[in-house]
Amino acid sequence: MAIEDAPTVDTIDFDEKAAYNPDRPISSLIRTQLLHLHYAEHLRIPEKERTNTNINTLHTERQASEYIQKVTALLHKHGKKAAKGRKPAKKKSAMQKAASKSKKQTKPAQKKRRSRK
Amino acid sequence: MPQGLSNLKHIVVLMMENRSFDHMLGGLKKKYPKINGLSGNESNPDSAGNAVQVSPTADYRGQLSHDPDHHFPGVDVQIYGGAPFTPGRAANMQGFVQSYGTQSPNVQDSHAIMRYFSPEKIPVLTTLATEYAVFNGWFASIPGPTICNRAFAHYGTSFGNVDMNMFLVSDADRAKIPTIYERLAAGGHSAKLYYYDQPSSTMEIVNLIKDQSFFGIFSDFVADCKSGNLPEYSFVEPNYSDHPAPDGAQLLATDQHPDHHVLAGDNFIGKVYDCIRINPDLWKSTALLIVYDEHGGLYDHVVPPDCTPDGFQAPEASTGVPGLTFKFDRLGIRVPAILVSPYIPRGTVIAGPEDPANQRIFEHASIPATISRHFLNNNDAGTPREQKAQTFLDLLGDNLRPDNDCVFFPKAMKG
Repeated sequence: MAIEDAPTVDTIDFDEKAAYNPDRPISSLIRTQLLHLHYAEHLRIPEKERTNTNINTLHTERQASEYIQKVTALLHKHGKKAAKGRKPAKKKSAMQKAASKSKKQTKPAQKKRRSRK
Repeated sequence: MPQGLSNLKHIVVLMMENRSFDHMLGGLKKKYPKINGLSGNESNPDSAGNAVQVSPTADYRGQLSHDPDHHFPGVDVQIYGGAPFTPGRAANMQGFVQSYGTQSPNVQDSHAIMRYFSPEKIPVLTTLATEYAVFNGWFASIPGPTICNRAFAHYGTSFGNVDMNMFLVSDADRAKIPTIYERLAAGGHSAKLYYYDQPSSTMEIVNLIKDQSFFGIFSDFVADCKSGNLPEYSFVEPNYSDHPAPDGAQLLATDQHPDHHVLAGDNFIGKVYDCIRINPDLWKSTALLIVYDEHGGLYDHVVPPDCTPDGFQAPEASTGVPGLTFKFDRLGIRVPAILVSPYIPRGTVIAGPEDPANQRIFEHASIPATISRHFLNNNDAGTPREQKAQTFLDLLGDNLRPDNDCVFFPKAMKG
C-alpha cells in the first residue's frame, strides 16, 4: 500500500489574492521581532555593513519583512564567518561541550548589555 | 518498548501562534464528547453586565482587528475576572470580554473574543485532532505572550521572563541550561530549527545570534523530508507576515496570529503533515507535534493549573500586576496540541483537568523534556520544571496503522 491508498481530506480554497495584505500594520509580535533584530544587528554586524534603518519608520508587514530579510541574511553571513575562524574544540564530555559553547557565544551579548546600562 | 517508540527516529514540532484550545477545537466536543471543548453555554460578562455566550461564528479574519491582549496583566484579568491580586484568589476564566473590551471601540466588538470555529471551517486541524491524539490539558507555559512562552520550547524555561523582551541569559544560567539544540548536538544528535524564509525569519533571535548552524528554512524542510535527510529533531516556525517571494509571488502569513488568515495556517499545517506523510520511511519513523505558543487573548474555559516552579521569579515590575511576584508556579491558558504518528490509534484523547483521576498536564517544557529523554536518555540539563514535565511519546503504541487508514491532504501539498 502507498499514499495513493490514503483517504483524502480537502483543504478549503480561499481567495488568496484578496487575503494578501502586505500593507497591513505590523502586530506587536512583528514589532518585537524588529526590536530584537535591530539589537542583534548592532551586536553582531560591523558598522560599515549595517542597514542603518530606523525601525520606527517601518509600519507595514512589507516594510518590516524587507528589513527582517536583510538583517537575517547579515546574521547568517557573519555567523558563518565567525564559525570559520573558530578553532576546533578539544575533546570534552557532552555536557562540557554544551556548557562551554554557550558560554563562549553569549559573552559578547553580555558585554554589550552591560555597556548599554 | 512499543514498536512505535523503537521505530521512532524523528520528532517534528510545529509551533503556531496565538489561538486558544476552545477557539480552535472547542467545537469538536459536540461530536466527540471526550474532547474537553465547549458545551455552548459558557459565557463571560461584558462591560454592560450582560452575559456573552460562546458562539461558533469565528471567521478567518476581520473579527480581531485589534490584537487581543495576551500580555501578563491582560491574561491575569482574563483568568481572574479582573479581581485584583490577593493570595488565594480564585481563577474563574471570566475576564476575557472585559479584557478585550478595553481594546474595542464598542461593547459589541468585545464579544468577538468568545467566538470559536465550527470544526468544518478548519478541516486540517480538526481532522488531525480526531484522527490521531489530541491533548485536553496542554497549556502555555506562562500566562503571558509569545517570546517567553516559546523560550520554554527551546530551553524548558524563560529564565524569569514573562514578557516580549529579548532575554540575554547570564553565562552561569546558560551553562546550566543549554538549548535543546545544543544538548542534542553535544550528544552527537542532529537538530534543526526551520523558519519559513528570511523575510519572515525566526522568533529565536537569541539562538540565531549564537549559532546559525542550527537553522534552516521551510524549503529545506520540504527537501529534507523528500530526501529522507530530516534531522532527529526539527522545530518548524510558520510564516509571520504577508510579503512577496523573491519571484514576486504573494506569500501569506501562515502563523494564524490575529488577524492573519486562519485558512492559510490550516493549509500550512496540512503541508507540514503531508511532507512527512508522503515519504513512507519517514512517515513510519516520525512523530509530529502541532502546538500553539499561547492563547492570544482568546477565550478558553479551563482554569490553568499550578505547576512546578522553574527556579526563577518575576517581580511586580515585570508582571505589571500590583502586588504579584510571579514564581512560575501556574501555567498559562490552554492551547491546541495534537500528536501525529501512524502508531497512535484514531481518536486518542489525552485527559486533562476535566478528569482528575487520569489527567496529564502538558506545557511547552514537555517538548525539551520529551526530546531529551528520547534521544539523550535523560534531561539532567533541564530546569526543575522540565524535569517534572510530562512527556508524550508513550502515546505511540505497537500497531502501525496501514496507509489506507491515515489521511492525506492532496491540495495542501500543491500550495
